[in-house]
Amino acid sequence: MKAFRATPLLMIIPSLLLAMFIIGYPIIDLAYTSMQQVSRFGQLRGFNGMANFAEVFSDPLFYASLIRTGIWTVAVVGGTLILSLPIAMILNDEFYGRGMARVIIMLPWALSLTMTAVVWRWALNGRAGLLNASLMGMGISHEPIEWLATAPVAFTTEILIGILVSIPFTTTIFLGGLSSLPQDAYEASMVDGATRWKQFRFLTLPLMRPFINIAIVLNVIYVFNSLPIIWVMTEGGPANGTDILVTYLYKLAFRFGQLGKASAISLIMFGVLFVFIIIYVIMVMRNEDDGGAAGEAAE
Amino acid sequence: MMLQNWKALAASAVVLGLAGFGAQAQAQTQVNFTVAEYSSKTGPYFQEVATAFEKENPDIKINIQVVPWDTLLQRLTTDIAGGTAPDISIIGTRWLLDFAAQGVAEPVDAMLTPDFKGTFIDTFMAPSVIDGKIMGLPVAASARAMMVNMDLFEQAGATPPTNWDEFYAAAQKLKALPDVIPFGLQGKEIETDAYYYYSLWTHGGDILKADGTSGLDSPEALEAATSYKKMIDEGLTQPSPTNYNREDVFNLFKQGKVGMIFTFPMLIPQIKAEAPNMKYKILPFPEGKAKATYGVTDTLMVFSTSKVKDAAWKFIEFAYKDEWRSKFDHGEGFLPVTKGVAAEPYFTEDPDVAGFAAGLPYAKFAPTIANWEEIADTTVRTLQQIYLGEVEPEAGLKAAAAEINKIRGL
Repeated sequence: MKAFRATPLLMIIPSLLLAMFIIGYPIIDLAYTSMQQVSRFGQLRGFNGMANFAEVFSDPLFYASLIRTGIWTVAVVGGTLILSLPIAMILNDEFYGRGMARVIIMLPWALSLTMTAVVWRWALNGRAGLLNASLMGMGISHEPIEWLATAPVAFTTEILIGILVSIPFTTTIFLGGLSSLPQDAYEASMVDGATRWKQFRFLTLPLMRPFINIAIVLNVIYVFNSLPIIWVMTEGGPANGTDILVTYLYKLAFRFGQLGKASAISLIMFGVLFVFIIIYVIMVMRNEDDGGAAGEAAE
Repeated sequence: MMLQNWKALAASAVVLGLAGFGAQAQAQTQVNFTVAEYSSKTGPYFQEVATAFEKENPDIKINIQVVPWDTLLQRLTTDIAGGTAPDISIIGTRWLLDFAAQGVAEPVDAMLTPDFKGTFIDTFMAPSVIDGKIMGLPVAASARAMMVNMDLFEQAGATPPTNWDEFYAAAQKLKALPDVIPFGLQGKEIETDAYYYYSLWTHGGDILKADGTSGLDSPEALEAATSYKKMIDEGLTQPSPTNYNREDVFNLFKQGKVGMIFTFPMLIPQIKAEAPNMKYKILPFPEGKAKATYGVTDTLMVFSTSKVKDAAWKFIEFAYKDEWRSKFDHGEGFLPVTKGVAAEPYFTEDPDVAGFAAGLPYAKFAPTIANWEEIADTTVRTLQQIYLGEVEPEAGLKAAAAEINKIRGL
């Protein structure tokens, strides 16, 4: 009996070790660097304990970026989920030209984030931008709007673009989920006289829960760490007003040459994400233990 | 093409064969040279120099790596940390102190013969001297000046300004023209601080005071900032300068929508190509209490880790011959750093180039101090807050000065 249990374990040990090395090495190296005095050019200059962390925690820009990272992540992920579910449901229904519609929704995914951000940066240019030209051409606005000039407007714009680029991926997850839902439940509910809204509220939403959960976890990880949109459009400016942790970190590391402080911040970011995911997984598992329909659909 | 390649291949095979047959082949020394990409001409130019050099010195091979400016510092940082630093590199002079302080840069005093040293214009040599040692050679230089659109000035009946009062008056007149921005003010990204230093210096202030502390809390600095803020508030600039980086402002100027900008010589070839009919004029910055321009130099640096310094130096001496320097400065639109090229009529008689070169005797340079990028970023952040009206100029500049002093450890 014992040997029977050990064999499969032994067989996965090599790949487990390899995976641990590939995932673990950068983290350990990062942790090591974050406790060193690091020169402008990345040469380690000796142990300095928690000095890098102390510097991070006494930096007002760090806290401002941390709060903004929270807003950014919640707004982009929330907005994406709210928009993606209806889109996926529409695309799941049979209608003429559905294939084309699916392609159009998925197409932005094929573009690199950086290119998308560059195109938007041009489109949002105050004087020469396409968006202002269109708005003024349609008579909606009379003065050109400077989209990226002030932090609140720029940050909102960046969140909207963040949502736009996250929709294809999330919609794909939801489409996969919707096509696996049991049709007989819907037929039974129709016999019982359920309205479309009740079907959505009491059938689709509970059955889709595992897919929504995975969409939340993956999107939070991507969005939390996403550099290109904000970096290309505003570089965290004006006056650091759109800096999130990852753009601030990039500035520290590659502009100011503070690699020690930067590695401390990235370790903190890793910690924040790690804690979030652990809490989230625990919450999801507790819900499943309650014996919801979601638990079954996940299997 | 194929045929030529074939011939070249055959020829080199024969040469190789002969070399192997006869005396033993000479060992080749490879010099790795990282070149900052100023324009699309930079790479081919240095390749040409290298080819000519290799012809004279068949035992040395120059390996050129062209890296864009935006990623150059990051690239060198990675190379140095990874132990694969090049032998020589072009760098921004503002980084030189960090390189020198970390022992990455090699002093060149021993290799620099008095004759060779004499070919350089002294003003441009000064920024490379750190603690009495010459840490690199000036490789490119530019100065800044004001550029005005004479078509707009004629329409508005304004005269090009020589001081800040006239500057303000001219802006008022230009404002009367429809759809014209009197003064193009840069408000974001690279060199936003420089756009402010032009005003700071001409108002009589400086980036650092004599005692080394930040000059941003001086009355001159306040005057410089409030004069910009006043122009923003009165609609004499673009409505929201913080949405315009350097290129955005220059593009508006090229479209003929802006009356006055502060710019660099590299804009001239662009205007000649993109707006050939524009009548423009290069003028010194408006004067306040002082005359000033911003001198910017780049440095050719030798890495202390290099094992082929002699070969690298031989190449450097070759590349600084007048014929090559002249071609470089003409091609990229730079001001000459060597006396031989500076004496060419082109640099003294051409009104555009002469307009920029005129400021050189009183040019100011960015101070060579540690953590310069961070100090510049603090300045930019404060300026943006002032331009946006998030902070009063006086309070903002005071806070920025305190922060800069902290960064400098004062």
